[in-house]
Amino acid sequence: MYQELDHTADCAIRVWGADRAELFADAAKGMYWLAGATTGEAGEEIRHLTLTASDQESLLVRWLQELAYWLESESRVVSGISFQELTMTHLDAEMTCGTATSIARFIKAVTYHDLAIVPVGGGLQTAIVFDV
Amino acid sequence: MVQKRDLTRVTDTLWEIPSHHRSDMRVPARLFATADMLDDVLADKTIDQLVNMTTLPGSVGWAAAMPDAHQGYGFCIGGVLATRLSDGVISPGGVGYDINCGVRLLRSEVTQDEIAPFLDSLMTSIDQNCPSGVGRQGTLKVSGQDLDAVLVGGSQWALRKGYARPQDLPHTESHGSIPGADPGALSSRARSRGCPQLGTLGAGNHFVEVDVVEEVTDPAVATAFGIRPGQIMVQIHSGSRGLGHQVATDYVESFQDAVRKHSIRLPDRELVCAPFGSKEGQAYFAAMCAAANYAFCNRQLLTHWVRRSFEDVLAAHIRRFDLHMVYDIAHNIAKVETHIVQGAKTKVCVHRKGATRAFGPGFAELPADYRDFGQPVLVPGSMGTASWLLVGTEQSMELSFGSCCHGAGRTMSRAQAKKTIWGSDLRQQLEAQGIVVRAGSMAGLAEEAPAAYKDVDQVVDVVHRAGLASKVARLRPLGVIKG
Repeated sequence: MYQELDHTADCAIRVWGADRAELFADAAKGMYWLAGATTGEAGEEIRHLTLTASDQESLLVRWLQELAYWLESESRVVSGISFQELTMTHLDAEMTCGTATSIARFIKAVTYHDLAIVPVGGGLQTAIVFDV
Repeated sequence: MVQKRDLTRVTDTLWEIPSHHRSDMRVPARLFATADMLDDVLADKTIDQLVNMTTLPGSVGWAAAMPDAHQGYGFCIGGVLATRLSDGVISPGGVGYDINCGVRLLRSEVTQDEIAPFLDSLMTSIDQNCPSGVGRQGTLKVSGQDLDAVLVGGSQWALRKGYARPQDLPHTESHGSIPGADPGALSSRARSRGCPQLGTLGAGNHFVEVDVVEEVTDPAVATAFGIRPGQIMVQIHSGSRGLGHQVATDYVESFQDAVRKHSIRLPDRELVCAPFGSKEGQAYFAAMCAAANYAFCNRQLLTHWVRRSFEDVLAAHIRRFDLHMVYDIAHNIAKVETHIVQGAKTKVCVHRKGATRAFGPGFAELPADYRDFGQPVLVPGSMGTASWLLVGTEQSMELSFGSCCHGAGRTMSRAQAKKTIWGSDLRQQLEAQGIVVRAGSMAGLAEEAPAAYKDVDQVVDVVHRAGLASKVARLRPLGVIKG
């Protein structure tokens, strides 16, 4: 689940997940929502992604950066995600991707501003600021 | 959070948060604002971000927030910080993702009355010639070799290829080419984003605007800049596009490790930094200079196509249709400059994030026609409202490391703007004011509505009264192209 937060200059979302996988998946959905990126087709392409980072916040930033880059450079939107491994510092995912049918804006950057993944109510929560 | 009671009034337009306010502050924080602007600027995280800036190692003097300051990430927007070169840091978060986002002002000899019958056609032509909006690529075929030359040469590349005139370069900050750029410091991803986007305006708050000089407030300086009332002007606001975004992304990422390596403690990870002289600091500086040169070249290419539109639409009707450079300035950049610190000339790295250089008279880099007067400072207002041409002052060197505001400054979030304002209504309102609008999207137009910004006249009044820069001329928009 995600919710847009007010930010004077850029865009921000708060994201909740029952676990890390849900948090990462919903952060991606929230970012696509901010970008106005939709795909009308069932994903026809399978992509595999492996990422390593020094901590879980860095891993979240790298994950979203990768999806933002695919959106800008190839107009690709991830429509299905299966995390084969997702730890604090390592991510191994298989995704189905489709071509974006609309994009309202590109995400310039996923920032580290005040970024922290914190436990809340049995799940995880974070707030992410995007430069748009 | 910083409260109003934490601010000490220095003058009518300057407030200070002393360095003992928080234990991790290395220098004081200063805010240029009038008393009645304080509530707005304290309503979000702007001042907390300003205080965070003061924690960077090697900070000198004070961190400064310009009168248009607002919340960003890491540094506040409108934030200026100088760090000693000898033992200070450089921070990609102090520059931002759109490296060398900046503004260029062109002047014509055409009057408002002369252009009026052709304005609609002119805006359509500029819109067609200057690729803008989400996903639009440039019309140039840029090879990897070309890109290397752009990254090193900036506007010089444009001059060699016939997209610039010799007089354009001295009228550009750093002559459109910052030394020290190294294409090898860029990732392959940055390069791949850069090639197709060279010569594009982009989206968001980037624009091309046709204006008329409504008022001249300093005739002597205006004459030196070639400005007179009733004259048609053009502003171009764009930056380093995806290439710059990727450079910043890459180095904010790699500096997460640099911070640990150099044992730097920070209140926000977006402030990541490395000693200026370190391997990491030098690599970022070389990459940032390359991205800045790309941005100078980008605005130069857009200039070429705007000039072509003026020729295409006006040449058959108006004899003196040509456009001449007034000036081009960066407002997201880190520059190596010499300033007086504790009475001694000191080399510093001045981070300007949403702030403009504003050097006064006598600055050697300025072209001969401006040197006795100072550097032109360009302050675009929000869409549909005025913009200002100012001139830098000697005082700004003491007040703000030779820096000034970069625009009106947002007060309303994009989300709130879209809830409050319909793009189609706004377009009608602007057109009712006689402003021709070409916009990539109505939602994007709504986000940039004048109501989402501070009053530029009030911001510029503070600049003028504080002595950061001095008013020269006020411009009124006639046509705007938003990406």
